[in-house]
Amino acid sequence: MRGTKIAVFALVLLLAAVFMFPLYVALLMSMKSAKETFDSFYALPGSLNFSNFSHAWDTSKYPEAITNSLIVTALSVTVIIIVSALSGYAIARGNKPFYSIVYLLFLSGMMVPFQVTMLPLYKLGKSLHLLNSHWGIMLIYGGFGVQSGVLFYTGFVRGISREIEEAARIDGCSTPGIFVRIILPLLKPVTATVLVLNVLYIWNDFLLPLLYLQDKSYRTIPLQQYFFFGQYSSDLNLAFAYAVMGMIPIVVFFLFMQRFIIKGIAAGAIKG
Amino acid sequence: MQALRKTFKREMWYVLFLVPGLFLFTFAVIVPLVTGARYSFTSWDGISSKLTYIGWDNYVNAVQDSDLWTALGNTFKYAIIMTVLVNVLSLLFALLLDSYLPARNLFRTMFFLPSIISVVLTGYIWSYNYSQGFPKLFAAFGMDVTSPLGNPHYALFGLIVVAVWQGIGPPMIIYIAGLQGIPGELLESAKIDGAGAFRAFRNVTLPLLAPSITINMLLTLTGSLKVFDLVYVTTNGGPSFSTEVITTFVYKTAFSSFKAGYGMAMSMIFFVVLVVVTVVQVSIFRKREVDL
Repeated sequence: MRGTKIAVFALVLLLAAVFMFPLYVALLMSMKSAKETFDSFYALPGSLNFSNFSHAWDTSKYPEAITNSLIVTALSVTVIIIVSALSGYAIARGNKPFYSIVYLLFLSGMMVPFQVTMLPLYKLGKSLHLLNSHWGIMLIYGGFGVQSGVLFYTGFVRGISREIEEAARIDGCSTPGIFVRIILPLLKPVTATVLVLNVLYIWNDFLLPLLYLQDKSYRTIPLQQYFFFGQYSSDLNLAFAYAVMGMIPIVVFFLFMQRFIIKGIAAGAIKG
Repeated sequence: MQALRKTFKREMWYVLFLVPGLFLFTFAVIVPLVTGARYSFTSWDGISSKLTYIGWDNYVNAVQDSDLWTALGNTFKYAIIMTVLVNVLSLLFALLLDSYLPARNLFRTMFFLPSIISVVLTGYIWSYNYSQGFPKLFAAFGMDVTSPLGNPHYALFGLIVVAVWQGIGPPMIIYIAGLQGIPGELLESAKIDGAGAFRAFRNVTLPLLAPSITINMLLTLTGSLKVFDLVYVTTNGGPSFSTEVITTFVYKTAFSSFKAGYGMAMSMIFFVVLVVVTVVQVSIFRKREVDL
């Protein structure tokens, strides 16, 4: 029994090493100079060397890209949460066939892949002057996120007992009052799920920013990286320093929010 | 009368609550889908303001376009291999991590980490590992390897390796959650009845894991059929069309070749294919699930 346990542990350790290898190489490259890389690709750098990072910081517009990513993600996720919570509550509490139809509409919308609608979306954005603006892309992310958001919130609100709401209604509380004072404080767990899933998706999304944020000053991190790599494809070490810099924010987010991300993915599977 | 007015007021609020959600959904999904369907019946180039309707011509041309079939073939090859590999590996990882392993949370974090990195970065890191890192590593053992992404025979598999590396995390989490939902007594009683580890897995764990398998198969298959970013940032369809998938092909047709109407017709065909695949897959797997 003990032997099996050690073998399993060794196997997992090996798998983990294989999995971490590409990231290790990226980190290694970012710390070395071009000459060191040429001499030996896998050797550790002679000394801790952050000059690639400062060089990448100066040549790229990293702070600008981070700001854009933060604004786009924060705006979109806020909209998704507010709008989905409102719709989810209405669908869960309204008991006319109309609400079920709306629910099914959101659900079937999830079948439409973005690649099918990207060209009309681009044209729509262009004619309504929504390109190269944080608000424009927020509307689109909002429309995408609200579909799964409604799914999560409707399911959650259905699990909340109606008794408190009825009592509040008898005491003269209006529907918006009930929503804000009674329902909203109870929605924290499901909001955490919706938040982490959407943050991960929007922060890393490439295709929609590629279409909607073509102006240099609006580029988000993945887009900025794409162009930076194209520009510095010969200076490996610099490009890798930039790659590592781009990884840091989302890795930090992941390490802090890991518990919620794990829960959110498991919850999402059950809902689907 | 007053009760009626109260109900009406409540109903009005519910409808009002739905308005922002419905507005965003209509704007981002329904309007583009409908206009896209309309474009697919025109010879529109994507720029001019005039639309000329040409009936089903785009669809007829698309069906006869051998490039479209090649792209669809590549897409399905990629998606099917991905679905099998990702599910087998993530289930294996989940089983390994579900046992009483020291530091299993740390390992879970490590296996999940690639999933949260943007595809642009992933594509970049792997391209260089393929073209510089691995050849130098294998050269140390006297082997001569070149980047698979440059070879039409291996490029698609090269991309699959990258996508598997990045795609293990979420299904693994879903499998771990599924495994934790299986009561320990069931496996215990199977053991008492004389079932070995493999038979217990085959006859107890696997059937009870069916809902997780259904959702993971569905998510990986539909997700892989829609692959775009990874192909676009690494090979961009090359070399010689070997990694051209349906989404990159449509993107090029619509945005670079200025055949927007034609591109939309291909998109619509792809949409129908996707819906059919989803419906068929769900109905097959739902039948095999058992209730606890």
